[in-house]
Amino acid sequence: MTEPVVVARGVEKVFGEGAVAVRALRGVDLEVREGEFLALVGPSGSGKTTLLNLLGALDRPTSGALSVLGRDVAALGRRQRAALRLRGIGFVFQAYNLVPVLTARENVEFVLELQGMGAERRARASEVLDELGLRDLAGRRPAELSGGQQQRVAVARAVASRPRLVLADEPTANLDGENAEVLMHLMRDLRDRHGMTFLFSTHDPRVVTHAVRVVTLVDGRVARDEAKAGEAPHEILPGVGRAEGARP
Amino acid sequence: MALVAARYALRSTRRNLRRTALSVAGIGIGCALALFADSFNRGRDRLYSRAVIDNGVGHLRVVPAGWRRSRDPQLRLAAGNAALAAARELPGAAVAGARARAQALLAMGTRVVAVEMVGVEAEAEQRLDRLARKLRAGRWLRPGERGAAVLGQAALDRLRAELGDEVLATAVGSGGTIESAMLTVVGAIATGSEEMDASLCRTSLADVEALTGLAGPAEVTVLLRELAAIPAARSALAARLPAEDVMTWEELTPDFKGHIEQDAAFSRLFTGVILLVVLLGVGSAQLASVLERRREFAVLTALGTGAGRLVRLLAGEAILVGLAGAALALGLALPVLAHLHRTGIDFRSLMGPGWTFQGVVVEPIIYLDLGAWVLPEALGISLAATLLATLWPAWFVARTDPAEALRSLP
Repeated sequence: MTEPVVVARGVEKVFGEGAVAVRALRGVDLEVREGEFLALVGPSGSGKTTLLNLLGALDRPTSGALSVLGRDVAALGRRQRAALRLRGIGFVFQAYNLVPVLTARENVEFVLELQGMGAERRARASEVLDELGLRDLAGRRPAELSGGQQQRVAVARAVASRPRLVLADEPTANLDGENAEVLMHLMRDLRDRHGMTFLFSTHDPRVVTHAVRVVTLVDGRVARDEAKAGEAPHEILPGVGRAEGARP
Repeated sequence: MALVAARYALRSTRRNLRRTALSVAGIGIGCALALFADSFNRGRDRLYSRAVIDNGVGHLRVVPAGWRRSRDPQLRLAAGNAALAAARELPGAAVAGARARAQALLAMGTRVVAVEMVGVEAEAEQRLDRLARKLRAGRWLRPGERGAAVLGQAALDRLRAELGDEVLATAVGSGGTIESAMLTVVGAIATGSEEMDASLCRTSLADVEALTGLAGPAEVTVLLRELAAIPAARSALAARLPAEDVMTWEELTPDFKGHIEQDAAFSRLFTGVILLVVLLGVGSAQLASVLERRREFAVLTALGTGAGRLVRLLAGEAILVGLAGAALALGLALPVLAHLHRTGIDFRSLMGPGWTFQGVVVEPIIYLDLGAWVLPEALGISLAATLLATLWPAWFVARTDPAEALRSLP
């Protein structure tokens, strides 16, 4: 049995106070194991992004217990959460959010540099860009790349340091169908090759078909948690078992 | 700073070239003004100190013990000849000369003027006191000459005396008696200040000794080759002359020193105001630059960049802008400083040819100072200004909540 990457028990998140308080999450229970390829779906306002922010240690829960990569997120200070993100979590954003003044390779290298990687960071960046089919575009800046190419660079940036957990917030929302397909295939390849855990939110039903497990949020609660028929997590990645917290 | 971070900082300065150019221009102009003000201050301070030192005060003066407090002209050195010898043997001494002073009245016919009679060594005095070189008529005293005097032109005019006339000098002797002597006027000095000229009288040391009945010099004045040699020379003299007191030109003219410090404080205030204005301008530009990139900083924070690292990234940008500002400042200031270092700024049309202050004739031409100090000062001012201007934006960035920023910013 692999270690859980994420364990959430009764996680709540409230924004604001008093009459204007908004309960974005209302007691989320979720367990994600190493190597899962999980889609977080639900209508707008259901709490997907809020949950991703908590799982990414960008924010802390108002109540409940949340463990990410074995660390109690609620107990971590700002600096400790930054260190957790730097060492263990990769992010892919809907709007790519690449640094516009850096080239594709430099965007990837930047994260590795922040992690303190030495001279080998350039080779690592090139290797990851190769994996994502971006070898010829490594010297281009984001403005010189298409949306699909930018999102692939963003994925390369997220996975370059081989984080255990990769979080993607609507990664295909700004892509056309073809690019969305390409991106999902690449993400699954990376997960299959390196054993990373991918957790992404999406509205796109075509993207959901790539997920091994689909968690549906409604009104800040997990309404459904299902593994795709005939494609249980343990079948995708050897040595990875079904998530204990997964519900049919 | 690491490689990619350095590139990030460099390219970030090019995101909004107009704003960066304005920041660099603001720093460059402000820094150039500060350099000019400092160069002017240094030149003015040098002018003042040279005016005092060359006006006969010298860099150092050996005076009798107790003179510092009483300033009594009747006090004499315990061992005048030894003091003079020690001063002349001092390494770095350009010239040393002995003097004695007496408050005297000069009379011719029914006309009388009060003067400070200074008995000098003729040869040394010409090098010690530039007034001795400002002869308007006649000649300077000859070595060993007795009974001769050089007067200020105004004193001569008030006595209605001419060169070759004899004037009666009267002073208080050592026992309180009134002593007199006849002096022949051999030269007239015009300093440019009538007030000074009216009380100016130079004669031989021996004549003052004879008139006052007090033997030996009252002071030994030393002119050094360099201002910087004062502390070492003073220590050396004091060690050799334990019975005397050794004073610096600043101690001899405390009012003058106070005036210089007052001027310097005002100049520093002026420079400070310039730099504050520059600081506010650059700070505003830096803040605008940071606000435009809030989402980018939120992303960098989300990727695990710590607050300290973000601050260092901004500091890197500030350093680049500061270096460019320093280069511009040097480009603007150096040609002007070099020119005015050579030609000086002539205030004679405003102040007259010889402006006097605290009994010192100052020729009001200020030669701006130019030296190796300009480079570190330009770098220091520019970098300090830009780094200070980055503090508030950096603090703002360090407090960025990535979740909130990513949620709320477009």
